[in-house]
Amino acid sequence: MTISQKTPAQAKQGRYFDRWWFLLAAVIALILLLVLSKPDPFWRIILYVKAGIWTTVSLTGISFLLVLIVGLLVALARLAKSKVLVGISTVYVEVIRGIPLMVQLIFWYFAFPSVVQGIGHSLNIQSFIDFKTDAISMAILGLTICYSAYMSEVYRAGIQSISKGQMEAARSLGMNYFQAMRYVILPQAIRVIMPPVGNEFITLLKDSSLVSVVAVADMTRRGREFMAANFIPIQTWLMIALLYLVMTLLAGRLVAWMERRFRMEK
Amino acid sequence: MTPIIHIENIHKHFGSVRALNGVSLDVEKGEVVVIIGPSGSGKSTLLRCINRLEEFDSGKIIVDGIPLDTAENINAVRTEVGMVFQQFNLFPHLTVLQNVMLAQKVVRKRGNIESENIARELLNKVGIHEKANSYPGQLSGGQQQRVAIARALAMNPKIMLFDEPTSALDPEMIQEVLDVMMDLAKEGMTMVVVSHEMGFARAAADRAILMDGGQIIEEATPDVLFSHPKEDRTKLFLSKIL
Repeated sequence: MTISQKTPAQAKQGRYFDRWWFLLAAVIALILLLVLSKPDPFWRIILYVKAGIWTTVSLTGISFLLVLIVGLLVALARLAKSKVLVGISTVYVEVIRGIPLMVQLIFWYFAFPSVVQGIGHSLNIQSFIDFKTDAISMAILGLTICYSAYMSEVYRAGIQSISKGQMEAARSLGMNYFQAMRYVILPQAIRVIMPPVGNEFITLLKDSSLVSVVAVADMTRRGREFMAANFIPIQTWLMIALLYLVMTLLAGRLVAWMERRFRMEK
Repeated sequence: MTPIIHIENIHKHFGSVRALNGVSLDVEKGEVVVIIGPSGSGKSTLLRCINRLEEFDSGKIIVDGIPLDTAENINAVRTEVGMVFQQFNLFPHLTVLQNVMLAQKVVRKRGNIESENIARELLNKVGIHEKANSYPGQLSGGQQQRVAIARALAMNPKIMLFDEPTSALDPEMIQEVLDVMMDLAKEGMTMVVVSHEMGFARAAADRAILMDGGQIIEEATPDVLFSHPKEDRTKLFLSKIL
């Protein structure tokens, strides 16, 4: 038997590595930990981290919605005829992609308010001098600005993958640029970019753990606090890791489902 | 009578290649003009300049009294000028019916019912009403091109431009597209057609034009141009395609 040939049994076996099984396994592991380990630290960990779970989810959700919008605008600017727009958007994308997210998050939280206040002092603008902010807003700002740069490249590739004739046909019918984008180009581009957009979402979900260094009480930070108070690092991080795993696997399934739906509509 | 398309001395180059080298052309209302010429002669570029899909470097084009200068004027001209492409360029994510309805709703601001009625009527006219709910990918090339013609007609254009409408088609599908074009010509539509379909030109065109090197070499009625050409370049070109 040659190596490349698969027997029906082997092909069937391949299905045991379907991604649903990973999700199921992670959920079962989570439940087993909670049920079997009594008197347990795990319930206490979950209860302590609960608020952080919500913070992580909402932070990721809000940032991602903003990223979808800002990323599109940046992509359109990069594809625009205006040299100014192309220049600004290109510099933005290249600079942001060249700086670690952690450094950017620290800048927005620790340095940016001082920058605004400094400008306020030198220009004597009272509202700038009084500028104050909170950790969550700066974290959302930082994640959005960073991920929009990456997302704009995803959009750009998607838009450029649609043949030039589509835009010409739309324009020849009298549609303006934005109508052509809205009704002809983007609906087709979305099908192309669904998988990479899904990847971006999952990466954002994981990277959101970095906001724990800028005073946002997300899942990771709550975990660290719990560990510091109770000295059970193994159980704590096992729990946190499992929670992230369940979330990313769930998101992965959601993305795959949406991909299938979009393909079927066509 | 002022011509519906007035082209005056337009020049255009792509890099160092001169695509159009001082072309002037007037087309009267209701006239059918066929442009032939070797590839790279500038015939498609000229056609694409009429609705400004291609920008030109110098010269002047006035369509139905509207000069092609500002963005508003260009869009105004585009709503009056329908275009049919070699590659059909139907919108693959929309059904045939939706393809014909989209611009009516978005540009002409017609309601759903009105644009659907118009779309069905036109699909009937080009003979593919039974495919209204199919997607372009499920149609043959000839069917797709007829949908593309219906899509352009739905905007009630005063002028139709055809850019090699049958070049991408299998031979047995060419006639069904030409038939639709022939009907349009009979109805008095102003048409500018880039095509080497001699039969169509003889039957429907008022004038045939030979372009080469970005210039108009010769123009005459189709019978005269094809049978008794004056210019050597016309003779040479015709000897190659006949």
